[in-house]
Amino acid sequence: MLSEYLVAWLCLAYFVALAPFAPGFASLDNLRTILAYLLPILVVSVGLTLVLILGGIDLSVTSMIALASVVGGKIMSGEEGWLAGHALAVPVGIVAMLGTGVLLGAVNGLAVTVGRIPAFIATLTTMMFVSGLAIWVTLSRKIGGLPDGFLVLGQRLWVAVGIAGGAAWVAHAGLSRTLYGKWLYAIGHNVRAARVSGVPVGWVTFGTYVVSGGFAGLAAILFTAVLETGNPEMARDNLLDVVGAVVIGGTSLYGGKGTIVGTVFGVLFLALVDNSLNLLGLSFYSIMMVKGGVILAAALVDTTRNRWRGGAR
Amino acid sequence: MTTRPDFPDPVCDAHRGRASVLARLDLRALASLVLAGLLTGCGPSADPGPTRSGAASRPLTVGVNFETLQTEYWVAGFEAIKTELKARDIRVLESVADGDANRQLQQVRTFITRRVDGIILVPKDAKTCIPAIKAANEAGIPIVLFNRPAAAAEGVRSVAVVADNRKLTRETVAFMVEQARQTGRKHKAMVVVGDLGDINAIGRKDGFYDAVQGQEAVVEVVAEVPSEWNQEKARAGVVNALQAHPDISFIFSSSDFLFPSIVAALKSANRYHKIGAPGHVILGGFDGDATAYQMLVEGYLDATGVQDVYFEAEQCVQALLDQLAGKEVPPVILDPGFVIHQGNLEEKKARMWGAHVARR
Repeated sequence: MLSEYLVAWLCLAYFVALAPFAPGFASLDNLRTILAYLLPILVVSVGLTLVLILGGIDLSVTSMIALASVVGGKIMSGEEGWLAGHALAVPVGIVAMLGTGVLLGAVNGLAVTVGRIPAFIATLTTMMFVSGLAIWVTLSRKIGGLPDGFLVLGQRLWVAVGIAGGAAWVAHAGLSRTLYGKWLYAIGHNVRAARVSGVPVGWVTFGTYVVSGGFAGLAAILFTAVLETGNPEMARDNLLDVVGAVVIGGTSLYGGKGTIVGTVFGVLFLALVDNSLNLLGLSFYSIMMVKGGVILAAALVDTTRNRWRGGAR
Repeated sequence: MTTRPDFPDPVCDAHRGRASVLARLDLRALASLVLAGLLTGCGPSADPGPTRSGAASRPLTVGVNFETLQTEYWVAGFEAIKTELKARDIRVLESVADGDANRQLQQVRTFITRRVDGIILVPKDAKTCIPAIKAANEAGIPIVLFNRPAAAAEGVRSVAVVADNRKLTRETVAFMVEQARQTGRKHKAMVVVGDLGDINAIGRKDGFYDAVQGQEAVVEVVAEVPSEWNQEKARAGVVNALQAHPDISFIFSSSDFLFPSIVAALKSANRYHKIGAPGHVILGGFDGDATAYQMLVEGYLDATGVQDVYFEAEQCVQALLDQLAGKEVPPVILDPGFVIHQGNLEEKKARMWGAHVARR
């Protein structure tokens, strides 16, 4: 059974097995590089974990990151920002980036709960609209000149670890220690049974998409600070990595199962694979095939497990 | 549909069966071990590597990172650089970011971890590459950008080898205008532009307008189609423009890789004819890829501006070696490129990278 325990041990085994062969794999600088790379992906993956446990999907998280990145850049940039040089530029920019994610998450939540549109279509539509909006607003131009007070959020590793770690811990606590977490698993397992049992399915579903949007906004802050640019294409190609990491971490695509700890190790495992194969000097094509194979294997395990469980939902 | 008598509780689940208290302790210990390792870097360094001061006594190693290998041009550039490095007995480390700026930053840092002597980079764009260049600067590793320069930033040092997009486009379009003039009639023109976040696309767009300015008696621009370097968007835009202006007879594409889309749109409008045939649309492009070569050979394409990939690869490697030798290198090295057309195809094709790709 693929679980967080297995993935955690897999990470350790992979690390120990590859360290002698991948030059510099275990060095301090490289471990910091891996950590800096995975933190923004971890934050968005945590949000998506909640949605998948619910039995939903959110394809729009990476486009939310792009739009939030642009919004932050438009507010904070010293070159062209609306609040360029103003003392409130950074706090307003951060709040606006988080708010962008929350707002778009609310749109998804309303579409799924009130509009009763399947999550796949609702979030696919949001993804298309928001991606187009981000490019239209900027005419594809990247926004530089972000203030140092903002860049520190992504470039001081301990600050970024604090933000991402804090976000993951809050999600973990919410899932494992609150009524909200129990409701989430219940809906993911069987939405009808949950409704009959008195779970406020609509509110929990709406709230989960809002929270996922908020995590996407937070991830946008880290991505934008790391890359020093408000970018309408930010994280555009990360959706596969995000979904893959969550599935590898043991979250079921069928809903009702998954943990934040598993997602942490799923993200770490993919980052270790990516980094080590680069260090081994494998070609781009080989790395893509290996990563695709790992994600496929995780999805197959999930499907098989679901079949054994008798949960043909 | 199956149901459960009660709600699953992950906390309780964790206390049952396989997930015993012991397992939880193990997990915590494991998590602590892995995260502590990441934060403190307690693992052994598998490759202490030679010191940079010893670079003269060992083979040089250069990291080559491309943002993407999505088009033939990037693949040809990637291979040309690796071939040039190997020809000089320089060891090559390679990686491709697959369009992800965050991954590209990680991959450049990985090169630094492996203590390469130099880095050749095709950045995702002019701005998101700044942190990667800063990291190389801080490590004292020279970095050369292939085909895309970085935006100006304080204290950031890099060398860029780039085609002179504006000049080469101006020359290509000027040749097309001359072809148009020889038909003795006025032509309505369309320009397909690239991603305007890409400085190369802006240079090509500016070069196009430089060439047609003052030529209104021969060429009137009636449509500007944005492609964002996306073939499907280009095709849709060209179809729409041809519907709005069915008499368009002059098209410049900012990249040859968009030709399949443009040709498909022309064919569906029954406007794709060979040079000299009635109804021929004067076609020009930029890059010099295999499609353009084939279209030149078959007599459909009037001209394309060829980026001299082999010159650019050679200059990238030379710029790295010069920096390692302590020589002054200008921040931008321009590839003048050349215009290839029906009149000089035989003479110039040996230098056209797309011709080599087409023959494979």
